[in-house]
Amino acid sequence: MDLIYSDEDRCFRERARTWLSTNVPRGTRPAHGAAAAQFDRDWQRRMYDGGWAGINWPTDYGGLGLSGLQQVIWYEECARAGAPHYINTSYIALMHAGPTVMTRGTEEQKAFHLPRILKGESLWCQGFSEPNAGSDLASLKTRGRVEGDHIVVNGSKMWTTDAKYADYQELLIRTDPTSERHKGLTWLICDMTAPGIDIKPIRTMLMDEHVNLVFYDDVRIPLANVVGEVNQGWSTALSTLSFERGLGFIGDQLELYERVNRAIHLAGKLRLETGKLAIEDDGIAQKLASLKADALAIRAMTLAHITESDRTGQPGPQGSLMKLIVTGTHKALSETVGEMLGWEFLEFDGDRTAHPWTYDYLWSWVFTISGGTSEIQREITADRLLGLPRAR
Amino acid sequence: MFLAPEGDEMEIATAAADFLAEAMPIDRLHSSGSADMSAAMRGHLGEMGWFALAVPEASGGSGLSAVEHALFFREVGRQCGPVDVLAQVLAARLPAPDDVHAALLSGEIGVALAVGDGDRTRVIGGTNAAYALNVTPDRTWFARLADAGETRPALDPATSMRLTDGVLVEPVVKTNGPDVWRFGVLGTAAMLVGIAEAALDLIVEYAKVRETFGRKIGAYQAVRHPCADMALRVEAARCQLWYAAAALKEGRDDVDTHLDAAKHLANQAALANADSNIQLHGGIGVTDEHHAHLMLKHAMLLGKLFGGKRAVLARLLHAKAA
Ligand SMILES: Cc1cc2nc3c(=O)[nH]c(=O)nc-3n(C[C@H](O)[C@H](O)[C@H](O)COP(=O)(O)OP(=O)(O)OC[C@H]3O[C@@H](n4cnc5c(N)ncnc54)[C@H](O)[C@@H]3O)c2cc1C
Repeated sequence: MDLIYSDEDRCFRERARTWLSTNVPRGTRPAHGAAAAQFDRDWQRRMYDGGWAGINWPTDYGGLGLSGLQQVIWYEECARAGAPHYINTSYIALMHAGPTVMTRGTEEQKAFHLPRILKGESLWCQGFSEPNAGSDLASLKTRGRVEGDHIVVNGSKMWTTDAKYADYQELLIRTDPTSERHKGLTWLICDMTAPGIDIKPIRTMLMDEHVNLVFYDDVRIPLANVVGEVNQGWSTALSTLSFERGLGFIGDQLELYERVNRAIHLAGKLRLETGKLAIEDDGIAQKLASLKADALAIRAMTLAHITESDRTGQPGPQGSLMKLIVTGTHKALSETVGEMLGWEFLEFDGDRTAHPWTYDYLWSWVFTISGGTSEIQREITADRLLGLPRAR
Repeated sequence: MFLAPEGDEMEIATAAADFLAEAMPIDRLHSSGSADMSAAMRGHLGEMGWFALAVPEASGGSGLSAVEHALFFREVGRQCGPVDVLAQVLAARLPAPDDVHAALLSGEIGVALAVGDGDRTRVIGGTNAAYALNVTPDRTWFARLADAGETRPALDPATSMRLTDGVLVEPVVKTNGPDVWRFGVLGTAAMLVGIAEAALDLIVEYAKVRETFGRKIGAYQAVRHPCADMALRVEAARCQLWYAAAALKEGRDDVDTHLDAAKHLANQAALANADSNIQLHGGIGVTDEHHAHLMLKHAMLLGKLFGGKRAVLARLLHAKAA
């Protein structure tokens, strides 16, 4: 074991730093809406033009063919340079739609979609969950019937993040009406401009509208858009979930460490209701120091997992642990800062730039619920990592 | 960059695990008089070269690094091995007179740890040890034990405790610098990670066989989820341990920050996992014949050595990592 970056890795970091120093967008990203989506597209395009898109994607698909570790280095340098956060409107396209098409799609699908994703020309959303199918995804009911060379879709999806700005959707539906649970599902590429799609935003506790209900009324999707086989969509969906869970959080490690340091800096300036500086309060000081240790551990875990998966060629089963610790640390940090901020923490109008800590606090439930709840991550850990008898 | 044991490192870890499972299995602690390292056990470890593992070759050691040191002590921790093993290994790093150094490596003389406790000194381990080691972050004293001191009843069956005045009046060796402290923090953190892992292994094994209400307890989420939390504590503490070990091996500037983080995470993981392990075993978990309490008591002791909770957190608060 060692912490030594190869010459190649060091060079890569150096080049990334240089490029970022002159290319990071100046203004702040708009908090939400179409303007935010446009900002994310522009940033992706800029990275593409600069030769930085798809760092660990194979060169055959327009990527740079580099290692997972170099992808981590890139995120570290982005955090250092104050570049836009990687969890943005491009996230689904880059982190799981792209990789799913890459591993399970046809040559035509790859040739069409992968370059567009890298260039920021197409944003994706994920249409898996429904009003009555979240943790228990296999109980989904949105249905499709094959008619000639199309599948005609009817039903509804819920919680679809950024559906309004997405060009395509990962759509998981039931195509065999007699089937139950994991059988008879199909994974489709859904063009979000197709007739019959209606999107209704859901207002959240963050006072935003980034999640949506999506209704499908006789939406016709070409059979050529099936990824994997008709009625075998569960297998494709598992690939999507493995990408989402496996390395979905590798960009957060340095970011979190720096946010802990920012909180410690803040604690040296803020007075509590006791009149003491926050940093002089044993309870707060201990929590902040402990969070620093957690942030360092997250970084060590990231490096351990990514260097291992670079060797084995696939993400290990620790993705769920990664999600648990990142989301848990995120939540504990915003709670601790909330204690320090006093009344100011109770000011909020939905503007994440003006009230970043309150926003983060509210966001912490999005983190622990979406992409598989913390309870489900514990279930996965118990099943796959520990081999305990199944609960279900 | 690779953050897990590989190649020769794995071989050392396996050899250590096999050897320790024979030489100091945790089962030993169920018979009375099993605390500390007996002179015979000490000689055996010395003969097999374990005290010399990370001692430079020029000083008669095997010349391996902090990484192997951590791998070895993780296995010691799994067996709730006596603290004397660490004291002996640390003393062997000192520039002691040749004859003393040789006797340390061979296990001919034994070493206990001495830690300040108010105006007195608490001697941990080694009732048959002639020497004691007192380590702080910036200096180390190694002295002959002047008196046997007053034996105190020890909660941890693996380790004896005595209280004495002025044991370290005439140190044989006094060195400045952080080297011994760093290897002490790393070794202790590694032992705690070993305990956290052993506690997880025990409960996972039990949860697969114990049945209540017609189901294995491992199928109940009230058991499964605490087990998943135990796995997370292990994973975080273990990855940080590897990071700290590699940082010490490579002489990085921010090594102390990573060691403190490793110690803090290991303190938490061992204590919380030992706790959950008892609870999830039910009644059998509180019996003397079970290993569960041994892990808890040993974790409580190790948690105070080389960085207790408050000391470690106070340092971490303002520490910087590159
Ligand atoms: C902000 C946000 C954005 C999202 N974005 C998307 C998206 O873009 N695309 C998409 O497809 N989905 C998205 N989701 C949906 C998300 O994946 C689901 O909300 C999540 O999987 C939980 O499903 P549910 O809401 O139906 O809750 P339920 O499954 O009904 O769960 C209710 C509670 O029961 C617990 N629970 C359920 N089953 C078990 C079990 N077996 N063991 C223990 N506890 C259990 C859960 O942890 C939870 O606490 C998003 C959700 C949110 C909140």
